[in-house]
Amino acid sequence: MHEISLVQGLLKQLGELAGQHQSTAISKVRVEIGPLSGIVIDSFQFGFDVLAAEQELTSKALLEIVSPPIQYKCCYCGHVCLNQPGVPDSCPQCDHHLLVPEGGDGLILLQVEMV
Amino acid sequence: MCDDCGCASPSHNHKVVDVNQSLLAANDALAEKNREHIEELGAVAINLISSPGSGKTTLLEKTIERLGKELRIGVIEGDIETERDAERIRAKGVPVVQLTTGGACHLDAALVHKGIHALEHQLADKKLDLLFIENVGNLVCPATFYLGEHQRVVMISVPEGPDKPAKYPKAFIGSHVFIISKTDLLPYFDFSPEMAIKDALLLNPKLTVMSFSATAGDGFDSWLTYLRSLCK
Repeated sequence: MHEISLVQGLLKQLGELAGQHQSTAISKVRVEIGPLSGIVIDSFQFGFDVLAAEQELTSKALLEIVSPPIQYKCCYCGHVCLNQPGVPDSCPQCDHHLLVPEGGDGLILLQVEMV
Repeated sequence: MCDDCGCASPSHNHKVVDVNQSLLAANDALAEKNREHIEELGAVAINLISSPGSGKTTLLEKTIERLGKELRIGVIEGDIETERDAERIRAKGVPVVQLTTGGACHLDAALVHKGIHALEHQLADKKLDLLFIENVGNLVCPATFYLGEHQRVVMISVPEGPDKPAKYPKAFIGSHVFIISKTDLLPYFDFSPEMAIKDALLLNPKLTVMSFSATAGDGFDSWLTYLRSLCK
C-alpha cells in the first residue's frame, strides 16, 4: 500500500545522490526491506520497475532487495532468538510468551552504484 | 557500450556509494519542519492513533468541552473519506482542518504539512496551545510515519480486547501514552485491563497509562491533567 510512495521517495534520494556525485546514470540500487516493515517486496519491485524506467537517470538501474531475518527478544528474560522463520511460540529460555521483534522493520537505502 | 549498465560510454568508472539512509528520510525531514512550525505557533502537538471506532473523535469532543475555555485547541482530522469528524469538531467551536487521503491508510508528514498551513489561516493571532492530529483509524501503518508531533498517543477501547498491545507492538513501542477507552463497558466485556497494561509496559516501560470513559467521565481528569502539564 505504501510501496509506490516509498519508491517515489527512493527515486528522489537517488536523484540527490546523483547530483552530489555528478553522476549521469544509476546502475545498481541495494535496499533493505525488513520482513516487518509492512512493505510487500513484490509490489515495491514492481513500483520501482515502472517508475525508474520513466527517468533517464534510473532507467537502467538494477534493484537488489535484501530482507534480513528478524530476531525476537523475550520481554521477560531478554533472551534473543536468532534467525527465526516466524514468531516463536514461546521463549526457549524461560517459556514466556511475549517476544518482540528486534529490528526487522528496516526500510533502508543501503548502497548505490552509479556512473 | 558499457557491459554493466548498457550505456553508450565505452569506458567509465562505476562508483559504489554506501548510503545507509532510511527510505523514510524525506518524510522524517518534513516532519521536523512540521514540528518547527508547530512550535512557532506556540503549540504542543499530539498524534492520536487507534483502530477505527475506538473513540478518538469523541475523546477530542469531550476534551474541547472541558478544556476549550482554558487552552487554545486546534485539530487536524485524518480520514480516508468524508469530513464527518471535522464537522463534529467544528461544532465544538475550535479551528479544524479535515485531511482526506482518498485511499492512504495513514497520515504522513506531507499531508500534515498542508494541514498545518490550512489551520494557521483560521488562527487570528497565529497561536495555539494544543494541536491534536487525529490519525486515520488504523493500528498498523500510522506507527511508521512520524508527523512532527511532540507526543504520540495510542488508544484501544474495551470492546477490542486486551490483546492489542501484543498484536500491534509497533504502535505501542513508538508511543508516549496508552489510553484504554470506553471503560464504562467493562461490565459487559471480558477485558482485563491488567493484561493489556502489563503487555504494553513490557514493550515500552516509559508509557504513561490511563483508562477512562470520555462519555461517562470516570477517570477523565487524568487525561486533562496530562494535557495541562504539556502546556505549562
